[in-house]
Amino acid sequence: MDNGSTWKRVFFGVVFSVLTILCWCPIGYGAYGAVSRIWGMPNWAVTALSIGVVMFVLEAIYLFATDLTLDDEQLPSVIKSIREDIQ
Amino acid sequence: MIFSLLASFLSAFSMFGMSSLGYRTGFGALFVLSVNLVPLGALWYYMHRKTFVLGRARSWMSMGMPFGERYGNGMRAVIPVVVLLASIPYLVAQVQGIGLMVEALSEKAIPYHMGMFFVPVFISLYLIMGGMKGAAWVNTVQGIFFSIMVFILFFAVMAKNGGFAPTMQMVFDTHPELFQLGAKGGKLWSYPMVFGFAAAMCLGCICFPQPYMHAYSSRTVKGFKTMLLSFGGICLVIITMPTLVGIAATVIVPGLKGVQADKVYGIVASMALPDWLAALAVAGGFTAAMSTVNGLVFGNATNLANDLLKLMVPHVGQKGLVSAARWSVAVIMAICVVIAWNPNTPVAELSVLAFGTVAVTIFPLWGAYFWKRSTAAGAMASTIVGFGINIVMFIWGGKNMVLFPSAKLFQLNGFLAAFIAAGLVFFIVCLVTKPGKIEQKSLALFFHPALDGKLDHNLVDRSENEYVKV
Repeated sequence: MDNGSTWKRVFFGVVFSVLTILCWCPIGYGAYGAVSRIWGMPNWAVTALSIGVVMFVLEAIYLFATDLTLDDEQLPSVIKSIREDIQ
Repeated sequence: MIFSLLASFLSAFSMFGMSSLGYRTGFGALFVLSVNLVPLGALWYYMHRKTFVLGRARSWMSMGMPFGERYGNGMRAVIPVVVLLASIPYLVAQVQGIGLMVEALSEKAIPYHMGMFFVPVFISLYLIMGGMKGAAWVNTVQGIFFSIMVFILFFAVMAKNGGFAPTMQMVFDTHPELFQLGAKGGKLWSYPMVFGFAAAMCLGCICFPQPYMHAYSSRTVKGFKTMLLSFGGICLVIITMPTLVGIAATVIVPGLKGVQADKVYGIVASMALPDWLAALAVAGGFTAAMSTVNGLVFGNATNLANDLLKLMVPHVGQKGLVSAARWSVAVIMAICVVIAWNPNTPVAELSVLAFGTVAVTIFPLWGAYFWKRSTAAGAMASTIVGFGINIVMFIWGGKNMVLFPSAKLFQLNGFLAAFIAAGLVFFIVCLVTKPGKIEQKSLALFFHPALDGKLDHNLVDRSENEYVKV
């Protein structure tokens, strides 16, 4: 694996970990008690939904616009290689 | 495939249950089945990339197969049982949700105990007659249909009070606690509660039979990745809407409590839409429930036939397997109807119980694909301890013990405590036990260099018995 790919993996790994925590808990952008609102919704809910949108876009980039994930060109040779080795 | 996966997961929970949860608890419900599922695009790919590739290479058909090849027949037998038991509350939720909705819409002309039979009977018939291919197409059509109906209902409900912002202002004026984190003295949607629900739901999604079945049946990598990505994104939009509909309904249909709040989706539809359109909107919820029962029952029946029965009767033929799967469908549905007979837990809570329980199987799955040191003993102990703690807590403290943070559990909810315990047991037992012959032999398959894109055979490392030819 070349250095560029390693750095890209680390970058996406860190970013996805942070965003996952934020999608699972409003820590850092929520607060107990009275809330201010944006478009009628609590601001922490709008922030959570926005983080969800950002994460969705980054996932799309990771899955389809990088060389870090499997693609259809590789698949037949990967399966062939496994089948040849594992009887 | 995208709508098929969406439909097989989204359910009476996502339509009726989430509107009920939004109605009863407010905006915190967005962390139960909406924004918390967006990470699935990356997590799902990470966890099930090898399911997809190895499933093709090894012709896997059921959930037990990867566990069986990696850890041996013990895990292959345990997994279908644990997943089936964890699925029961979720299936009960579908039966219950539909029974309540039929009763509400018919204004009690069709009682709950009659309504709850409608879909199980219907599902059993078309599942038994159509099989997986039929189910996939039915799921796809249903997925598209209920997605459209959710949009229509959302805009109709918001329009009823002058638009989204005015509706939310009315809700805020009467129920400000629905907008808060840590409401009701810190008990409702505290950070630990939000995290517990969000993590259990997201991780549970990875461990149910549907992701395995869709990984096995995806035709292309592009289709597989598109399905994973779209699922989280569509949930973010589609499930947010019934949740907001439920919140808005607090000013349209006030006063519903507990299980009765599960009827709010249908009641508010009948008040915001013409009768025929309200019927279609609720039918959208019905299709969601039916497609979930479809996917989950079929997945469990396949697991039981291919994993359990094949272990017990190794020479059973294809006809015997199909027959066993069909009988499994009928028995599972009958059990669910019996349990749903006296509803006392809302649909949303039933569903979260199921997802939280099945999430404990993520450790053996992760170990199978990513940790060469994982052992059958660790996988088995982790699964049994995690599942067992969930059951003990449910018996000891009821659903509240499992769902809500407790001082006895250091402010964790029951399934988060069980999840952590399962993880600790997995790592400790794996480290104190040695991988047996099966685990060592399986490394050649599960850590084959080609899975990491290394297609040159000379790169295979055979120095530590890791890549032994099988």
